[in-house]
Amino acid sequence: MSARESIVARIRAARAALPAMDETERAAIEGRIALHPIGTRPAMDWQLVPRFREQCVRMSSSVDDVASMAEVPRAIARFLADMKLPMRAVVWPEIAQLDWNGTGVTVEARAARGDDLVGITGTYLAVAETGTLMLLSSPSTPAATSLLPETHIAVVPQGRIVKAMEEAWALTRSERVELPRAVNFVSGPSRTADIEGQLQLGAHGPYRVHVVVVAE
Amino acid sequence: MSDQKLRVGLFVTCLVDLMRPSIGFSAIRLLEAAGCEVTVPESQTCCGQPAYNSGDRMAAQSLARKVVAEFRDCAYVVVPSGSCSGMIRAHYAELLAEFPSDRAEVERLAARTYELTDFLANVAKLQRVPGKFTGTCTYHDSCSGLREMGVKAQPRALLGQVQGLALKEMATPEYCCGFGGTFAVKYGEISARIADRKCEDIASTGADAVVLGDLGCMLNIEGRLKRRGDTKTKVYHVAEMLAGMTDE
Amino acid sequence: MYGSLPRLCRGRVGVGASLASTDSQPMNAPAETFKSRAHDKLNDAKVQRAMRNFNLAGARARGIADLDNFEDIRTAAAAIRDRSLASLDLWLARFEQEATRRGTKVHWAETHADINRIVIEIARATRVKKIIKSKSMVSEESHLNDALEAEGFQVVETDLGEYIVQLAGEKPSHIIAPAIHKSRDDVADLFVQHHKTPRKTDIGELTMEARKFLREHFLSGEMGISGGNFLIAETGSLMLVTNEGNGRMTTTLPRVHVAITGIEKVLPTLEDASCILRLLTRSATGQSISNYVTLNTGPKQPGDLDGPEEMHVIIVDAGRTRLLGTDMQEALRCIRCGACMNHCPVYQNIGGHAYGWVYPGPIGSVLTPNYIGLENAIDLPNAATLCNQCGVVCPVKIPLPDLMRKLREKQVDRGLRPWQERLGLKLWAWVAKRPGIYALATRIAARLGRSMGGADRVIHRLPGNGWTEGRDMPAPAGKTFRELYAERKR
Repeated sequence: MSARESIVARIRAARAALPAMDETERAAIEGRIALHPIGTRPAMDWQLVPRFREQCVRMSSSVDDVASMAEVPRAIARFLADMKLPMRAVVWPEIAQLDWNGTGVTVEARAARGDDLVGITGTYLAVAETGTLMLLSSPSTPAATSLLPETHIAVVPQGRIVKAMEEAWALTRSERVELPRAVNFVSGPSRTADIEGQLQLGAHGPYRVHVVVVAE
Repeated sequence: MSDQKLRVGLFVTCLVDLMRPSIGFSAIRLLEAAGCEVTVPESQTCCGQPAYNSGDRMAAQSLARKVVAEFRDCAYVVVPSGSCSGMIRAHYAELLAEFPSDRAEVERLAARTYELTDFLANVAKLQRVPGKFTGTCTYHDSCSGLREMGVKAQPRALLGQVQGLALKEMATPEYCCGFGGTFAVKYGEISARIADRKCEDIASTGADAVVLGDLGCMLNIEGRLKRRGDTKTKVYHVAEMLAGMTDE
Repeated sequence: MYGSLPRLCRGRVGVGASLASTDSQPMNAPAETFKSRAHDKLNDAKVQRAMRNFNLAGARARGIADLDNFEDIRTAAAAIRDRSLASLDLWLARFEQEATRRGTKVHWAETHADINRIVIEIARATRVKKIIKSKSMVSEESHLNDALEAEGFQVVETDLGEYIVQLAGEKPSHIIAPAIHKSRDDVADLFVQHHKTPRKTDIGELTMEARKFLREHFLSGEMGISGGNFLIAETGSLMLVTNEGNGRMTTTLPRVHVAITGIEKVLPTLEDASCILRLLTRSATGQSISNYVTLNTGPKQPGDLDGPEEMHVIIVDAGRTRLLGTDMQEALRCIRCGACMNHCPVYQNIGGHAYGWVYPGPIGSVLTPNYIGLENAIDLPNAATLCNQCGVVCPVKIPLPDLMRKLREKQVDRGLRPWQERLGLKLWAWVAKRPGIYALATRIAARLGRSMGGADRVIHRLPGNGWTEGRDMPAPAGKTFRELYAERKR
């Protein structure tokens, strides 16, 4: 008997006390997956965008607002200059397509390396409840861009902000055939409190996360 | 209150019987002050909790069934202890599950069993608290009373009526004192250390006395305070304080 | 079935006993007892200072305050976990089907030895030498690091706390704060010794130094081993909930990713996971969400610039099925938030190492006897005041004190308690059932106690009784209530 068979056999045996498994149970399981009902949640009677902004700050991200995608490069250049950060970044291709001319920022669309200091990404969706970015991996949206650099800048179109994780799943199901290799929910900079319980930002991932909310 | 007196059976508890009878008499005084007719079934001994918590289910069952029988005729059962009343209300049904014929009686008992201050505040609606005390008190929430019987506001409301008494809360009144029944005997060192945190918390209030609703916790806190050399802070059962029987 | 398992516990935190099934194999005498370890920790100034400092309970209280319906969500979360456990085989099969379809290789480990064997086989087959790990408590159960190192693999723990305890040659003392027993000075000493760098004592600088050293390991690691907070049956995904980002590194950078998790960790849908997540992070650290919540579904896809070439998930039994369908099943709801230990007055004073096995605190006191045998963890279910603070804070409503009490009953039923205790209880119950004899016995005891108390009415020493080790016993009044009441009635 394989390990799988014996483990399943033990589970079955333990279940003998329960109602016998039959097609009804199998159907119930497929039914739950098909319906994937939303469970009990908090009230969440706030406005999406202000809540998102407020929760980003609560998770130690910084937030900037711009009117349009065209303004993003200059806003990011300003942020980098203000923070005295290098004017060079590894970015997703969609970010490289923006007009960076005259901003002084050099962007490279490629896989992130361990010594990249600034990474700029878009976001698939953003979750207002917790101030969270939802990043999906793909050839044009690699996961490491938001992970290896010390500074992660994310461009968030306002229309992609959803209420909670459940709404994010619903939209993902309607827009995608299936989940990508990696779904990364990112809420603020990496942190640890493993030494004496004292909170430190920038454990292994970014020290800072900067969110640029685009109005249109 | 109506003229009809509430018929209350007092479950004294084995610890009060042996160690500090004044708590039992305080309870009687308070219940009578609230207009109750108090009976004390003579054959009562122990609710079975020590055996139950030590894993001796059979011993616990035999004592629990004895309690069920002894208090069958009382309209209410009142206990000057959160843990013994919690034993009856929250655990007897599970403990006596092997005796389905007892079930109705066990449920009936659980439904009429009250911790003393809960009963005084919410059922008998004691109007005039006889106790007097000059000084500051802090109240410790014993675990079973708090988490099994919902005792939190009741003792504080009643203590608020004690003439001359000022209540000063400690930082973590809901934090366990480390008693835990036989735990304090089996793991004395750990238990004493937990009690230390409680003693520090009590000391930081500067209160003249700590008041609480369970004799087990009282013995633990008082014992640890004494060992720490604190001869100043008094330890009273809430019944003693409310009844004005603080001088034994 | 479990009788052939290797020695599971050794070293300073082991209970020194073989992993016998609960009805086979004689136990080895424990080299160290719970009590002796607890005594050492209570008298270790460093541990005491660290434990005094430790306050995740306060963070949790603030965290749940922003949920207006915490109790309702808690009820829903418990129901979700129960649903998983009720049809566990089917949910696991559904997970396996989806995960396999997405290119994840699913392995089943019946025992701890199986976990180590499977990981070693994968490591050999993929020719890796250097392995980086993000936190996996199941791998602590199987002593995976020792097994891998014995086979010549280099293993680096990357969670900062885990890294610290690995450098110290110790084991985690908390499931989410593994090095909570260590001070910044301890960490500074370890870093000087292992990094050969100038001594730093600022926590920020120490964290930066660890970042620098671990970054090298992340970039050169060939296999990443992670735990798994949940398995999602709907999508065949592995969910990881972390703050440091090492979980993401471990599952993004090395070319092989192996996740190890227990059979009980399966959840039906993404929505179920979202519901539980609201409680998990709040209960653990008070956060509304962790910095990183990651779902990994299969290996690198065509064209992907990063991600592992192989993804493996090892689903572990190792004692878990023994709880299913029994009065212990509720313990399998556990989502490993640590709230029970954070709120436990015993844990708060003795720390995690005293418990002797992987899971400390109340949940450990329930799981450990079930996983390694009741006879090998005699103290654990008893070393609790049953204050129920753990039961009140548990986000999935595990009735921890009730489960500990049931384990105590099992100890009595199997004759595992000391004969003096068993006899004492029997004798006491026999007397307590006989009011006449009881009245006489208490009359004598009350007088004896009164005289032992002397002038100050305090008993300083009771022979053979742990009570007076740390405190006095206020003496009884001298007469029983029963006597005084009879006198009064007369």
